This record gives sequence, C-alpha cells and structure tokens, in this order.
Amino acid sequence: MRGSRDRGPRRTALCLGLLLACAPAATAAAADDAEVARLRAELAATRGALTSTQDELQATRNALAALERRVDGLQAAVPATPVPTPQGTARLAPVNVDNPAISFVVDVTGASATHASDGAIGFPDGTGFALRTGELFISAPIDPFLRGYASLSGSSSQGFDIEEAALVTTALPWNLTVKGGRFFADVGRFPHWHDEALPFVDRPPSIDRLIGGESKAEGAEVSWLAPLEQYVDITGGVYNTVGAENTDGVNRNGFFGRRSFNELTYLVHPHGYLDLTDTWNTEIGATWLASPQAGERTLYALDFTLRHQPGTSGFYQGLVWGTEWLWNNQRFAERDDTGLIVDHSRFQRQGGYSYLEAFFGRRYSAGLRLDYSEALQGLVDRERMASLFVTWMPSEFHRLRLQVDDAWGDQPSNQRVTLQWTAFIGSHSHGFSQR
Amino acid sequence: MASRSASRLARRLAGLLLAAGAFLGSVSPASAALRVVASLPDEADLARQIGGDRVEVTTIAEGTQDPHKVPVKPSFVVKLNRADALVVQGLGLEHAFVPALLEAARNPKILAGAPGYIDASLYVTPLDVPTSQSREQGELHPLGNPHFNLDPEQAKLMARAIAEGLARVDPAGAASYQENLARFTAVLERKIQEWQQLAAPLRGVKAVSYHEDMVYLARRYGLVMVGTIEVKPGVPATPAHVEELVETMKREGVRLVIREVAYEAGLADSLAERTGARVVTVSTLAGGLGTAGYVESIQADLEALVAAVQGAPR
Repeated sequence: MRGSRDRGPRRTALCLGLLLACAPAATAAAADDAEVARLRAELAATRGALTSTQDELQATRNALAALERRVDGLQAAVPATPVPTPQGTARLAPVNVDNPAISFVVDVTGASATHASDGAIGFPDGTGFALRTGELFISAPIDPFLRGYASLSGSSSQGFDIEEAALVTTALPWNLTVKGGRFFADVGRFPHWHDEALPFVDRPPSIDRLIGGESKAEGAEVSWLAPLEQYVDITGGVYNTVGAENTDGVNRNGFFGRRSFNELTYLVHPHGYLDLTDTWNTEIGATWLASPQAGERTLYALDFTLRHQPGTSGFYQGLVWGTEWLWNNQRFAERDDTGLIVDHSRFQRQGGYSYLEAFFGRRYSAGLRLDYSEALQGLVDRERMASLFVTWMPSEFHRLRLQVDDAWGDQPSNQRVTLQWTAFIGSHSHGFSQR
Repeated sequence: MASRSASRLARRLAGLLLAAGAFLGSVSPASAALRVVASLPDEADLARQIGGDRVEVTTIAEGTQDPHKVPVKPSFVVKLNRADALVVQGLGLEHAFVPALLEAARNPKILAGAPGYIDASLYVTPLDVPTSQSREQGELHPLGNPHFNLDPEQAKLMARAIAEGLARVDPAGAASYQENLARFTAVLERKIQEWQQLAAPLRGVKAVSYHEDMVYLARRYGLVMVGTIEVKPGVPATPAHVEELVETMKREGVRLVIREVAYEAGLADSLAERTGARVVTVSTLAGGLGTAGYVESIQADLEALVAAVQGAPR
C-alpha cells in the first residue's frame, strides 16, 4: 500500500515532469498549426487573386485579340486617339543626297535593214544588235563656285571614250557662266544632246553628216543670260574644232600639227524662249560657227521648237514640233597618194530635219521625222529619210522605242526597222540643256 | 595677218557682249519688295501670308499640275535668276524641275544650302521614309513621303520654316514675318478645329488614290488607304495591277477612289464603275480645284471627300 502511495507521487511527479518537458513542444505544435492555417488561408487568397488576375489577363488578352482583329480589318489606319500635333524639330536641310550623282545608261538596239551594203543609204549593217551607248555619267558641285561632270561612253561602233569632262562655274556675276574642258558645244538644239536623250532611235542624219555626230569639242564657252522679261541667252565659244566624228585634217592633226588663234573654231549662239499661252511655248535659236583661217569652215544653223504642254488632267499629253536646218561651208584639203596636200576644194552643203511628236499619255508617244542631208565633201550624195517612231515608257527610267526608216536619194534606197531598249541606272539627268 | 584679224574678231565679239550686257542690265526692273519664287502654289500662298507687303511672290507650278512632272521651261529660269529667295516644299518633291532650273538660273543666292533656299519641310517629320532605295519599289523619295502639305498641322511647321527663311534673307522684316506667322497660325488653328468636325465622316472609310500622296491626310482624318492606281510610286498602272486592285477593293469594301486632279480620270472612273466605289477629285496642291489659297484648298478637298462618303454606297 505504502508502495502504491509512494508510486503515486512519483507518477505525479513523473507526469508533471513529462508535462513540463513536453509543454514547449506542445506549445510549438499549437503555434505551427496556427501558422499553417494562416499560410493556408493566405495561399488560398493568393490563389484566388491569381485566378482573378488570370481571368483579368485572359479578358485583357481577349480584348487585345479583338482589337487586333479590328485593326487588321481596318488596315491599321484608324487612329484611336487624335494624331499628335507635330512639335517640329529642325532637320538639316538636304543639299544633295547623291553627291556625286552617278548613273549608267544602257542603250541597246536590234535593227534590220533591207540593203546591207556600204553603198546603201544610212545604215549599212544589215541585221544585227548593237550597244549604242553604255554611258557612265557623274556630276556634282565641287565648291561654292564650280560644278563638274563627266560622261564616259562606250559603244559597239566607237569603242570607249570620254565623251565629256567639263567644269562649269556657278557663281559668276552678271549672269555669266563659263564652261571648260571637253563637252558638247552649244550648237543648235539636238547636236549637243546625248544619243539616249534624243526622241528618236538615231541622231538625225543631217546632224550626223554636217556636224559629225554630236558637237563634241575641247575648248571653253561663256554663256550669258540676258536680264529681260523673256528668256534670252547668248553663248560664245572657242574650241579646237567641233564634231565627234569630224574627220577633217584640223581635228586629226591641227593645221600641220599646231594651231594659232585663227585656226581655232569660234561659236556664237543666241537662243530665246517665249510662252505664247499657258500651254503653248516656242524656242528659237541661231548658230554661227567658224574657223577663220582662210575661211576653213563656216556653219550656220537655225532651230525652232513649238510645244503644247497642257497643265491639268491631260498633263502628260502634249505635242512637240521641232525643226533645225544647217548650212556648212568648208574647205577640204586634197592629198596625193603620199599624203601631201596638192590642192584645196570648198564645199557648201546643207541639211536639216523636222519632226512632230505627240504624247498620248504618261507612257506613250509617237512621231514622224523627215530629214534631208548632203555629204560634207565630195559628191553631193543627197539623202532623204522619213522615219516613224513609237515610244513606250514603262517607267521614267525605262524606255522601248520602235522606229521604221525609209531612206532614198542618190544612193540605192533602204528601209530599216529598229527596236531600241534604254534604261537608266542611278540618278540620271543631263539637266537643263537637254530638257 | 590672219592672227590679227582673229584678234579683231574676238575683241569685237567681247565688246558686243559687254555693250549688250550693259544695256540690258540697265533695263532690269527694280523692286523694293523681296522677290520670292515658290516652287508650288502652297508655298506661294504661305509665303504671301507670312511675307505680306514685304514680298512679291511668283509660282513655278500650277495647282492642277503633277508636282513630280513640272516641265522645265526657260521662262522659269528668268524668274529664278532674279529671285532673292526660293521656297520649296522639299523632301525631293520638286526633283524633276527645281535642280535643272537652278542649274540654269545663275543665281547662287538661292542654291540649295544658301540663305535664300527655303525648305518648307525643315520641321516636318516625314512618313514613309524608305528603308531601301531600290527602284524596284518605284520612284521613291529617299527622304520620305513629300505630300505633307495635305495635313494642315504640318502647314503650321511649313509656315514656321518659311517665316524663318524670309527673316534670314530679310532680317529687317523678321518682326513682321513673326507677326504674320502668328496670325496665320491662329487662322489655321481655328480651321483645324472646324476641319476635325467636318472630316469626322471620313474616319475608317476605305479608299484608294492614284498616287501615294494621301498618307498625311489619311493619318490626320482617319481614312484607310488600301492601295494606289499606280503600280508603285511613279510607275503607271498595268492591266494586271488594275485587276488585282479591283479584287482588293471588292474584298476590302473600298468606298472611295480618290483621283488627284493632275492625273487622268479614265482609270479612276473605270475602277469605281467596276467596284461600286465613288470617284472623288481632290487636289494635292493649292488652287487645283479653282480655290484661292492653302486654307481654301484643304477646305475644298475635305468637303469633296465628305460629300463623296456621304453619297457613297456602304
């Protein structure tokens, strides 16, 4: 009994001890449960918030998709809010985005003539293809006083050549401009145009025969714009000689290999323009070109152009009538078999053309050209040519032209069909003079 | 002997030229006003508004013309030769005629970069700046779409550039130019508010135009431009492109064919007939619809567009 009484306190003590020992753990367990419950509640709340956010996100996505569909439907052009008013920040004013301006012209032809012989008029090559022009053109201002340009050209018939390399002043007083170097002298209208800029497949035969192709020259020109209400300019020039294919002795060798001032070629070319009405205008020019040495060469030329250029919805339509006549008086040396000059002969020859071109719209034009020419020397060798030409321009830099020529005269007649394909790579412009 | 005769000839020619120059120089008209040449009618009107009595403004192109294709007439050279200032719209819009005319005008005062060369695009932020200069994309304007004058908000910036340019050439008139600029800007502000109301029916309306020149106007007034009659800028329509455009217009429900007055009417009429859209003629330049100036031109364009929309089938 005593033993059981003794065990009682001990058990109590043991229990108390156990209780005391276990109390912190029990307290901790109770605290963990509370924390877990709190965290669980927080987790549930966060999950709820996440679900809500996901719902909101989905709703936003749906709205976004709907907006995108709507925007797609409207081709992204309807502003939801007013277009912001520009505040205006000054940009650097562009002076020249192409400095230097560089271009290359590809001008090829395929032609077929009925008579392929040297005796036939005009085009002895029969049927074949030709690179008429592959021309690299470079131009740029050089400084505030000068600009320069160069034209390097190659072709099937003439090989490679520097056609032009010239400097032009831009800031001289009294409306003066000076040009120097190798360039096309300011003769008439078409003689100083590049081949690919002409409205025809070929250069008019009268110019080819009397000038010698383009009016290529080495020398200097002074041009003056008169201070009048109407446009009048006068060009004065001095050159070695004029004409890309001029084969006289002066061009080849000078006068016995040297020149003095009176053996150079001089030019005066007044030229005027008049607006007849808002849509009709006219240009007229006269050229005097001479080499004074013993009356070596004198050439007179007159050119006249009448244009109709309507300014509204028929803007691309129009009409051009152009005509040019040249008289050439030139002395040629006659040489013996050894090349010695034995005599001189003088020849007065003339020629010219007249053409009418109608522009039917932005892409099409067609015209008719009549040409008469005589040989520069020797037999007169009259040549007459009628040409019909049709031009189609898929774009401003791409052109196809078909020309049919019928030539007759002192030589056997000939007919030719030519298809010309011309394209301009880069920034191509021959500027005001070949407008 | 021959050498002496050539020298005499050269002296006579030089003397003749000098005498003619002296005579003709003496007949050159004198004027107190600043001689301003504007490439386009919009710039001319703005220059008149801002320059007031201090300027005498002449214009090269007319409102009915395509600014990309203005003929290079020698009579324009005479105008430019005497100009104290040249105002251009800029961004290359006048590339077809201004550079060639400047080349012949012999007037260094107005060459690009000189004080007298006033570029109205100076403060404009261009749209459609091409990322490639390839001509496969047509005749691109490397600096961006230059038809910003159709957005009257941009006209405020044009006016600012012109006022500053005139002051550069004529510093004595700077205060007057600023005063006129403020007055013109106030007029524009008032009209811009009116035009927002007037043009409200245009918002969301689908349209095609002949050339890509409606981007600024479309952005301002909410027109939806779906295509152009040109294949690419500067490249005339081909039959295949027209067929494709007809399909696109039908599919998109295009309601307007905008025909700029400088371009041919036939294609626009044909497209409208085939698609049920309505043709509306607008002008991209001031005066093209017979209006007097810039404000009147925008008014006329918007009225024409709204009238067409309100009469167009939905």
